[in-house]
Amino acid sequence: MMKEALSTLVIHDIKNSLALLEADLEQLNHHPDMPEEARKAYQRCSELKGRLVSFLTLYKHEQFGLRPNLAEVDLREFLQDTLDVSPSASGKHGHAFEMEVDEARIRIAPGMKRGGTALLDEYLTGVAIESALNNAVRYAAGNVRVWFEQDADKVTFFVQDDGPGLHHPSGNAPSTGVGLALCKAVVEAHGGGDVSLSDAPEGGALFRLALHTA
Amino acid sequence: MQEKSGANTMADIIGGTKPTVISSEFIQFDKFTALVIDDMGAMRHALRSQLEWMGINSVKGVSNAEEALRQLEIYQFDLILCDYNLNKASSGQHFLEYLRNEHLLSAKTIFVMVTAEAEYAYVANAAEFAPDDYILKPCPEKKLRARLERLFDRRHFLMPALTAMDAKDYARVVSESDRLLALESNERWQMAALRLKAEAQHALHDVTNMLATYRQALALHDNVPWVKIGFARAQRMSGDLEGAAKSAQEIIESHPSYVAAYELLADIRLELHDEEGAYEMATRAAEILPTARRFRTTSESAFLLGKLDDAKKNSEAAIKLSTGSITERPDDFLALAQIQTDLGEPQAAIHTLEKLARKYAEKDEFGISKNAILAQAYFDSGDEDKAKKYLERSQRLITPDNNTSAAMNRLGKAALKLGDEILGLKLMTQAVQASGKERHRIARHVTKSMRDTGRHDQVEDVIDAGQRRILVLVDEAHKLMRSAHFEEAFGKVNEALAIHDENIEALLAAAQLHLLWLKQDGMDEEIDERAKHYLATLDKLVPQNEKVMAFYRFYDQISGA
Repeated sequence: MMKEALSTLVIHDIKNSLALLEADLEQLNHHPDMPEEARKAYQRCSELKGRLVSFLTLYKHEQFGLRPNLAEVDLREFLQDTLDVSPSASGKHGHAFEMEVDEARIRIAPGMKRGGTALLDEYLTGVAIESALNNAVRYAAGNVRVWFEQDADKVTFFVQDDGPGLHHPSGNAPSTGVGLALCKAVVEAHGGGDVSLSDAPEGGALFRLALHTA
Repeated sequence: MQEKSGANTMADIIGGTKPTVISSEFIQFDKFTALVIDDMGAMRHALRSQLEWMGINSVKGVSNAEEALRQLEIYQFDLILCDYNLNKASSGQHFLEYLRNEHLLSAKTIFVMVTAEAEYAYVANAAEFAPDDYILKPCPEKKLRARLERLFDRRHFLMPALTAMDAKDYARVVSESDRLLALESNERWQMAALRLKAEAQHALHDVTNMLATYRQALALHDNVPWVKIGFARAQRMSGDLEGAAKSAQEIIESHPSYVAAYELLADIRLELHDEEGAYEMATRAAEILPTARRFRTTSESAFLLGKLDDAKKNSEAAIKLSTGSITERPDDFLALAQIQTDLGEPQAAIHTLEKLARKYAEKDEFGISKNAILAQAYFDSGDEDKAKKYLERSQRLITPDNNTSAAMNRLGKAALKLGDEILGLKLMTQAVQASGKERHRIARHVTKSMRDTGRHDQVEDVIDAGQRRILVLVDEAHKLMRSAHFEEAFGKVNEALAIHDENIEALLAAAQLHLLWLKQDGMDEEIDERAKHYLATLDKLVPQNEKVMAFYRFYDQISGA
């Protein structure tokens, strides 16, 4: 009991300190003469905080269950915001990297009352997509695309990279399993749906997250 | 659009290149003022620099709710970022509830709750007074900016309606919302506009249209708690208690921690005279989101039901939660002391009043009640001399402006306990007669006081005396209006309505008086407003009443409609 309380305290303290460090590094990055190392430090710190947040979200799901805070979300805007703020967006090893919302693949079922918007927990959905982006960036050659499809009872998000795909020795192996478990928790919080990682027909890996929006 | 001014922002100070600002043409961050409330200096500093980097020049930072209140008394902020974990005594949610309950927030102020993940689900699910948004701290600047741009964009869209809301011009809120709803361009803020419209209709008591607005919102989204609770409230206001209870129950099933649904059910059960059921619901609300206000409610319910141990527990919880915070109230100590007295713990009651509540000035309502309860407690502990002294001291504090129902009830109970039958019954009758809108609650308090002091037989007499007094006043008003003494007649009518604001006889007299007044003195705006108010109230209470219909025809005649 004591041990558990103590580790909860410690882990939250670490998370808060990490978040403050991230804010400091972010401010530092506004400086014009900022060295490359500072940018990397910021990115690393953001990723580390992201991992800790994923882990804590998953932990909470297993201990207490996640309760969604549903609000109307503009899906295009949501995807764009998620890409904009993703630490993965700055790419890896400083290489130029393309990451964008693929407008052409967005599909909204005809006759939707409020097509393009849905009742979702924006925060939880964001955490799930961010973890998929993280994974995609790790394996992509230079391009990651995201889009959504909307049907009467669900919204499906897609993240596709141009890496070697799942069945290649150097391809997207489900690393720790935290990412997928996290997405499953988010699906459950939304009252159903499903999550999968597969080879894309054009090559690369395709992540799919479907959430019920009854 | 104006050019952004090159003021001294954080960006200029540290010499960075300013990021290209503002995706929306309406949003000029440099015009905004912001308040950051966080007890952690480092966090406050981080949020502050982020806002300043975005171009918000005027950012104030405070570390607790009290300081924030002081700021809010002086300035109206465009944006408030409030940490959820303010301190042990009050959370950001308590603070927000307090601000909304006391109407201290402008409709234009954007309130964003800053939380850590741990509390996120809890906060988001329980609260009726939801903030405009939640962010997780500290939020990366890009994300914070994206959120704020969206919130300010919504505010900009709703601005005409929000301005009318701040001016309490509810009719204009409705017409502006309608205009905004008709705009095709801004479909995304439709729900927000519907919400404002419904709130304005609520303020106007326009129940029929309020129901229609919520139906419209339900057709867009049928699983949003604020829509469902709004609809349930409208049902209750329309007199459909059963439908309202069913709607509230549905919310509890889909959102088990949505406190407002339990509170609405508690109110409905009270209206149906199911006091036990109301208490149960209030208890559950306090368990989900414990606040001093909720513990006060449960304590009073338990007290009136004779569950004195529960009443004491809840009363102590209310005091514990509010001590040292903005929700602290001297009344809490009076309630606790009365409970302790009734429990047969006079020494504890004396301690509560003389030690714990000694910092409050002994005057007015508080002074009357404090001395009255001390009189009861000393009497119970066997010191009749002291008891008499306190009873007299309590009476000396009464003035025409402070003889509230609550004070008269406590003093009356002391008088009855000490054996002064005449004084006791007189005070109890006064308590009933001054109760106005609170008459059901006060009647229960008076009934309890009289039963506790063995006056079971006289309860009905005392409660009825209020009604008899109304009839006497109405009669006097009629005499005065016949001799065209309208001001004096208005005084009598008001006195009658103060006893019972929905008494039909008193309302009919009030309407008649104002019609005669208008006919004699011509169309005076204030009198006209009052006449319409009485007629509308009557129309609601006794629809299709012949006398009321005749009054309406008379009104049309004199107003030339």
